[in-house]
Amino acid sequence: MVMKLLRTETDEHLKVSRTLYTRSYLLILDKKRCIRCEICRAACPKEAIEIIQPTRVEGERLSHASISIDEKKCSFCGICSTICPVGAIKLIIDGEERSPVIDKGSFPELIRRVEIDTSKCPRNCIECQEACPFDLIKVEWNGDSVRIDVDLDHCPGCRLCETKCPENAITVKRIFSGRIRIDWSKCPDGCRDCVDVCPIPGVLEVSDDGRVGVNDYFCIYCGACRVVCPVEDALLLERTVIAHAPVQSGAWNSALERLTSTRGLIKELMSKRMGRALESVMRRLS
Amino acid sequence: MRESESEDIRIGVFVCHCGLNIAGVVDVEEVTEYAKSLPNVVFATHNRYTCSDPGQEEIRKAIKEHKLNRVVIAACSPRMHEFTFRRTVSEAGLNPYLLEMANIREHCSWCHPSRPKEATEKAKDLVKMAVAKARLLRPLEPIEVPVTNKALVLGGGIAGISAALDLAEMGFKVYLVEKKESIGGHMAQLDKTFPTLDCSICIEGPKMVDAARHPNIEIIAYADLLSVEGYIGNFKVRIRKNPRYVIEENCTGCGECRDVCPIEYPNEWDMNLGVRKAISVPFDQAVPLVYTINRDYCIECYKCVEACGERQAIDFSQQPEEIELEVGAIIVATGYDIYLPEEENIYGYGKYSNVITSLEFERLILAAGPTGGHVIRASDGERPRVVAFIQCVGSRDINKYPYCSGFCCMYTLKHAIQLKEHYGDDIEVYIFYMDIRSNFKGYEEFYARAREMGVNFIRGRVSKITETPEKNLIIHAEDTLLGEPIELEAEMVVLATAAIPAKGADEVARLLNITRGSDGFFMESHPKLKPIDTPVDGIFLAGACQGPKDIPYSVSQGSGAAARAATILSKPSVKIEPIIAVVDPEKCRNVRVKCGICASKCPYGAIVVEKGKPAEVRAAMCHGCGTCVAECPADAITQMHFTDAQIFAQIRAALEENPERKILGFCCNWCSYAGADLAGTSRYEYPPNLRIIRVMCSGRVDRDFVLEAFRRGAGMVLIGACHLPYDCHYIDGNWKMTERMKALAKMLQKLGLTPERFRVEYISAAEGVKFANVIREMAEKLEEIGEERIKAENAKLKPILDRMLSRKGM
Repeated sequence: MVMKLLRTETDEHLKVSRTLYTRSYLLILDKKRCIRCEICRAACPKEAIEIIQPTRVEGERLSHASISIDEKKCSFCGICSTICPVGAIKLIIDGEERSPVIDKGSFPELIRRVEIDTSKCPRNCIECQEACPFDLIKVEWNGDSVRIDVDLDHCPGCRLCETKCPENAITVKRIFSGRIRIDWSKCPDGCRDCVDVCPIPGVLEVSDDGRVGVNDYFCIYCGACRVVCPVEDALLLERTVIAHAPVQSGAWNSALERLTSTRGLIKELMSKRMGRALESVMRRLS
Repeated sequence: MRESESEDIRIGVFVCHCGLNIAGVVDVEEVTEYAKSLPNVVFATHNRYTCSDPGQEEIRKAIKEHKLNRVVIAACSPRMHEFTFRRTVSEAGLNPYLLEMANIREHCSWCHPSRPKEATEKAKDLVKMAVAKARLLRPLEPIEVPVTNKALVLGGGIAGISAALDLAEMGFKVYLVEKKESIGGHMAQLDKTFPTLDCSICIEGPKMVDAARHPNIEIIAYADLLSVEGYIGNFKVRIRKNPRYVIEENCTGCGECRDVCPIEYPNEWDMNLGVRKAISVPFDQAVPLVYTINRDYCIECYKCVEACGERQAIDFSQQPEEIELEVGAIIVATGYDIYLPEEENIYGYGKYSNVITSLEFERLILAAGPTGGHVIRASDGERPRVVAFIQCVGSRDINKYPYCSGFCCMYTLKHAIQLKEHYGDDIEVYIFYMDIRSNFKGYEEFYARAREMGVNFIRGRVSKITETPEKNLIIHAEDTLLGEPIELEAEMVVLATAAIPAKGADEVARLLNITRGSDGFFMESHPKLKPIDTPVDGIFLAGACQGPKDIPYSVSQGSGAAARAATILSKPSVKIEPIIAVVDPEKCRNVRVKCGICASKCPYGAIVVEKGKPAEVRAAMCHGCGTCVAECPADAITQMHFTDAQIFAQIRAALEENPERKILGFCCNWCSYAGADLAGTSRYEYPPNLRIIRVMCSGRVDRDFVLEAFRRGAGMVLIGACHLPYDCHYIDGNWKMTERMKALAKMLQKLGLTPERFRVEYISAAEGVKFANVIREMAEKLEEIGEERIKAENAKLKPILDRMLSRKGM
């Protein structure tokens, strides 16, 4: 049997597979979940992921970019499935969902945290459920008691639920922190491409004077806007910190550099070193 | 001519019957009588086998008795026996270069069997041409060059390992260069070997280790051959060592890096059935046991660096390293590949998951393989209960590979016996075969054993295979013994696919200037008597790169090649042919004007031209192609043994009678002349009006030769060369000839020559059929143009050609 490298695409999925006699690899991109951001492409160490620009039609709302994965370049390492902010990518090895990079400590898991103090919940309130742009929160009232399930694996941490909660019962940890700014002087007249593609409602809005305004409290710094922005440097987006489990890995360092900046990488390396120094001092003192 | 004035030329002609090979077609007595009539011939005789002891003795005796000072032997091709007869005449005290051969077997009796009368006429012409050249032969002394007593073995399979070990044991330094990460070759991939069923790697492994430990062997693995220059005894070889990103000296082979590596990629060693880590060795017994990082897959997480720790063996900054080796002999043992009938989907391979090749089966049944030795189906992981083997997939197929791959019958028998041994009556085994070929020691007994164990043999070709929904396979075949079509449902089908030339064999052939046969395998110098030699002195063949071979055969040939190489390495010097170019300082233009054409045309940079001084040929660097001789505008260069005067004499002799009916061919020694030899050996018949003049390289063919031929009234002229772009034995002599002749053809056409009358053809040593076809075509065209028109054209051309050649004093 010949080893098979395949790529198949439907409206719902993009599947890339490598099938050997004794082992099979399957990478599935859930196109319904995918927000067409730039995270996976930036993180991929083999440059196997490509983002294809949508074609612009005058006067119409910009359609989404599409993502293509090159089956010949893919190493089936699991970095994209680990880093995807909305958990749209899955890697299945021999029928089991796995991430070899996490198994071997070559890449960190993202820290996704949504804490809800249900004791504060006003009766029959489902504000958070309605606020979530990805339908990840399920609130179930049973008389006085409430049960709230959050599908954390797909949560990018936009904090819409947190702000909408009338009782401040929710705390959300950001995955990506950073800065976003729009240089209006460079924006083409009437362009609202970034607004059209932003996955989080309310982050980008066109104000009365036709300028695009940014509300970066909810921004997840995914870069979907930058992907489609037609002008260089009109949209300045920078990630500074990524919340992740501790790790020591070259693959993570270079992904971090590509996702944030060299400065971001240096900062993390410095703090790691500080942490280690602190640890050894503590050990000596105790 | 000036050269021959001083001495009294006494030529002896010896015409060989070669049993009935020549005498069965050519009237040798008539040829002998004719020879006696030629000027300067003082003795002529014929004998049954000139190359036999009595035959040679007769020559020696005649030389003494008749005071012969030139000898012409009309027999087989000089590529066959020139060496033998040179020794014969020198034993009788004659300089070996005072011998000339007329090829009346390969170029005459063998290719014109149905036209004996014309063949005899042709033989006479060939003898006349040889005598004409012999008259002008001069004694030459071989050039002695020192030998570097080291050897290069290309390819670390079992043939290469055997050759390297033997040479090392004889005391010679050996470089064993392997393209892959580990030596071992295909043998290291196999489970058991036939007919003894001993474990393949258990018997090869110790040999691999021996090679690695031997103080005289240096293994250079994971390396590519870049270039080869030089000649017998003095080859300069450049090798590129590819980066492993692991420092060989520091790697202990512990495998801790592999354990922490997150990335897997298909293991080619396992025929891509299983995977290996991005840092790994292809198999546990690899030699050298050095890990390699595959950067195509590595994600650079540096977990391996962490695991390696203080050993510090991992170096991501490693660069390719170029090494230059100097060796006296080269053994080519580059092996073979297995044909994967993927594109054509033959028998559903590549389409149906339970159709696999034998080499894949080998990896399945191997305990250290990806399934741990369990024969399972790809579709469901279950053990098959009915397994069918299909023989000759690709081999013995005129549309694919016409040859028999030799070892497939035996390994299929082995697989069948292994299955029966593992599972007994719980498995049914069928073998679809054309013929079972089980010659050699112990093989037939092995076949008997398979039959006794209950393996079912079905003689017949499988027409097609279809798949059932359960992923079983329906084999449609014809049982030729029963004479009826049959259908069989099997759960697994194993294809015995052809052994084919290794990928990159063309590149190796180009770098080494060795030829490949029509099957793509390297060609030996002579199929019977020089089965290990290549046409290039100092380069030898071992193992399956020359044609499919099983293990014992490969080992024997490896040892044979070692012995052949030792015949060179054991001597302090070798003699090389003195057929080099020599500049006449008085004629050289460079003394008066800036010229240097010869230096610019020399493929080897062997000519030095300094301002105001005559050009000078460096003898040891000259390979004797003669390209400079043909290019020199002042005719100041002479190629020894292939002088202008000698070749003109041959042209005139060939065209003395009925020139307009003849085709005069100039053929290069390595390709076209050998192709003509092969046409004869293969008995391809073609019209007898061709007369061939041998030159070492087509680059030697001077414009004036062609002009002289037409001036003498030739019907047609053919120049036979090696294939463009890379086949030329002298790098690019064929290109120089091509450029030169393009211009000449244009000119001749302008002067009124029918273009078809002058032809340049590229024919390799393996293309006997093509050679015969070209001559047939030319002869037909000659007929079509007609004698009248040729004579008319020649008459018109003659005064112009006379004028052009007058500067030569002709």
